[in-house]
Amino acid sequence: MSDKAYSSADDSALVRAAQNGDMGAFEELVARHRDKIYARAYSMMRNEDEALDLSQEAWVKAWQRLKQFQGESSFATWMTRITINLCLDQLRRQKRQRSESIEAMDEESGGVERQMPVVNVNPTEGLERGELRQRIDQALSQLTYAHRTVIVLHEFEEMEYKEIAKTMGCSIGTVMSRLFYARRKMAALLSDLKRPE
Amino acid sequence: MKEELQFKLQAHLDGELPAAETREVAKWIAQDAEARALFAELKNTRGALKVFESEIRLPESREFYWSKIQREIARSEKPQTTEKPSWLASWLRRFLVPAGALAALVIASMLIMHQLPVRTALGEPESVSAFADSEAFTYRDYSTGMTLVWLSYPAENGFAEVLPSDTLGYE
Repeated sequence: MSDKAYSSADDSALVRAAQNGDMGAFEELVARHRDKIYARAYSMMRNEDEALDLSQEAWVKAWQRLKQFQGESSFATWMTRITINLCLDQLRRQKRQRSESIEAMDEESGGVERQMPVVNVNPTEGLERGELRQRIDQALSQLTYAHRTVIVLHEFEEMEYKEIAKTMGCSIGTVMSRLFYARRKMAALLSDLKRPE
Repeated sequence: MKEELQFKLQAHLDGELPAAETREVAKWIAQDAEARALFAELKNTRGALKVFESEIRLPESREFYWSKIQREIARSEKPQTTEKPSWLASWLRRFLVPAGALAALVIASMLIMHQLPVRTALGEPESVSAFADSEAFTYRDYSTGMTLVWLSYPAENGFAEVLPSDTLGYE
């Protein structure tokens, strides 16, 4: 396949070629989806270097497991799942090294979010798109890893509760609880960020 | 408000409630101000996050990013093709090397055993040799393993001059 043929081929044709050992076809897939894969790793890890390393590791894993890809989902979805799993493994390893027992309890039972008053105004109203993105980014970085992960999986990956539970290795009840308190914390953080200093 | 009801509000927002419960929760939101306020907060937060569709871009060029992936793929595939030793090499390593070492040891032992009786039988318990350059004589007694060295005195070369007056040396 020539360079021109690679760029005009659709993902499934490139995947078939790559499954037969065509490295050029795989390179084209990397070029097409690299931003999304990196962005997903970054949204979970909140660290540029880790996101780069993990996204590259995900591509290496994808090449090694390419024969297992049967096309039940899109290639981009399959790649994103590999990336998410690698990020979750890394976050679990990091969490084991830290002492987060109180924080872990709060993730499921709510902690201070239980006592928080409801935010009555829309904290994002009247903001420029760029400013809004910056504030959300800032608020996301203040969440615990479990809260952030559940937000990323539900809001960005549009996974259902059941799928999130399977991915995170917890019950649907835990997912509902984490998502609820993560959203409440996000609401509080966004309203705090909106207040003039 | 009970936690269970709060979670129901959220499930309603996410479309995860069964049809019968959906109607029930919708009715509750319409009637209860507290439920309505919490529902609005959850909805606003979700709305904000929907707007935030990440526009994060990879901070490396396509070529540089790909080169690292390519290198890693090559590295991960290398051991499968080159590191596996052939059956012959592993057989040689396992049996032939120790057998060779053992054979060498046996041969060396046999030679030593063979040499000793011959020297004794030939009546060769000792030997004498002279070195013309240094005017030194050596005497070797094989039965005791002792060697004596005589150096001439007064010495005619520089080397012997630095030796102490007692010029007998033992090995």
